[in-house]
Amino acid sequence: MELYEGGCELKLLETLEGHSDRVWSLAWNPVTAAAGTPLVFASCSGDKTVRIWENTPSHSASWTCKAVLEDTHTRTVRSCAWSPSGKLLATASFDATTAIWENVGGDYECVSTLEGHENEVKSVSWNASGTLLATCGRDKSVWIWELQPGNEFECVSVLQGHTQDVKMVQWHPSTDVLFSCSYDNTIKVWAGDDDDWQCVQTLGEPNSGHSSTVWALSFNASGDKMVTCSDDLTLKIWETDNIQMHSGDGYAPWRHLCTLTGYHDRSIFSVHWSSEGIIASGAADDAIRFFVENRDGLVDGPTYKLLLKKEKAHDMDINSIQWSSGEKRLLASASDDGTIKIWELASLCMENGH
Amino acid sequence: MEDIFESSLHLEETHFEEGYSDGYKHGLVIGKEEAQQVGLRVGFEAGEELGFYRGCIEVWNFAIRVDQTRFSDRIQKMIKQMEELVEKYPVFDPESESVQELMEALRLKFRAISATLGMKLEYNGYPKMGQDPKEMGF
Repeated sequence: MELYEGGCELKLLETLEGHSDRVWSLAWNPVTAAAGTPLVFASCSGDKTVRIWENTPSHSASWTCKAVLEDTHTRTVRSCAWSPSGKLLATASFDATTAIWENVGGDYECVSTLEGHENEVKSVSWNASGTLLATCGRDKSVWIWELQPGNEFECVSVLQGHTQDVKMVQWHPSTDVLFSCSYDNTIKVWAGDDDDWQCVQTLGEPNSGHSSTVWALSFNASGDKMVTCSDDLTLKIWETDNIQMHSGDGYAPWRHLCTLTGYHDRSIFSVHWSSEGIIASGAADDAIRFFVENRDGLVDGPTYKLLLKKEKAHDMDINSIQWSSGEKRLLASASDDGTIKIWELASLCMENGH
Repeated sequence: MEDIFESSLHLEETHFEEGYSDGYKHGLVIGKEEAQQVGLRVGFEAGEELGFYRGCIEVWNFAIRVDQTRFSDRIQKMIKQMEELVEKYPVFDPESESVQELMEALRLKFRAISATLGMKLEYNGYPKMGQDPKEMGF
């Protein structure tokens, strides 16, 4: 963590064009960047397509679009997520369906279509083992699906509880507990026993929660902390008791840890916690910000400080920002301006000999 | 002497009471008529929806008997759960507090089952879950 003592900078590696409308979201394939396989990520857009991008090994700074997944969704594709095995890609669309794609020798085939939501599907997420898929949408419901042999899906549960549009769903990184955040300003935690899923906790204003739409949430590597971002211009850090969570009861309550205010003056649409502990945020003011835990000071309990702010990272609102899982501090950002940018967070000077 | 003036002194009050009494009697009649209409309509709607679900369940159960292997354990369990909900619905007690809850639960189960079976079946009588025309999609 002392790597940034000398300061750091955000280097723009490449700007990727191709989508003909705003880019809503992107997702790094979790199994690439291991042992020489090139980095791959997917992006989805208002142009109704999904694009697969690959880092060409011969030119380390060069990305090419390997595939365009089109003629399937009939409206904006709002979100995409790779299964943990990297073999399947789920895409959520305003056309009320979620499509499942499989990479068959370089070509992506749509192997399944999940229908059920009444209107726009906003987000999709795989659990850690790749057996469950969650979707959410404007119809205020959260659906849980189970993967069956032959890439079929069975609906396990339809969860009602949010009183408004649900913006994002995200599974906990190590337990089968589902989190959702909504236009109703709350974050809900869902846990299930067999097929009986219930909302076990709601993080709202009475729990020091957000006072406006919560757009996204992200977990730290160990899964005992979570960061959420909102229209209320703040980031909130939440924590839980990891030991209790893994003890077999499956669920431990979350509590507010701290709020980062005064750093953003426009809505924060995306937030992602890197495996090293750097929180990246993408906002409506076209800027990317990085936050890290503040180790100095005698405050009891951790606080967070702004590490770096990159203004005018894009020409328009940033909709999504995602760290890659590789060794280098690479991240990708997607914007209303129709482009995707690949960045590297580099230290300005050498490591401090630690 | 006072009796003659008594009635004219309380003229406003007398007329008020007369009007009130007339209006009340009229209201009782109209109210009862309207309540009957509403009751018939709501009862019909609930009955129609409930009947629709019972019909679906019967067909599904028949299909399961014909070929059980085509339906996973989970689906069979869900259909059973839906059947229980239909049985539990208080048809003869419309003022019971559980009617709203049971109907919501039935609708959810129905959607989960139809989504898994891949059917585009929809009951056209009830209001949609997320209906709010003021909301935009982001």
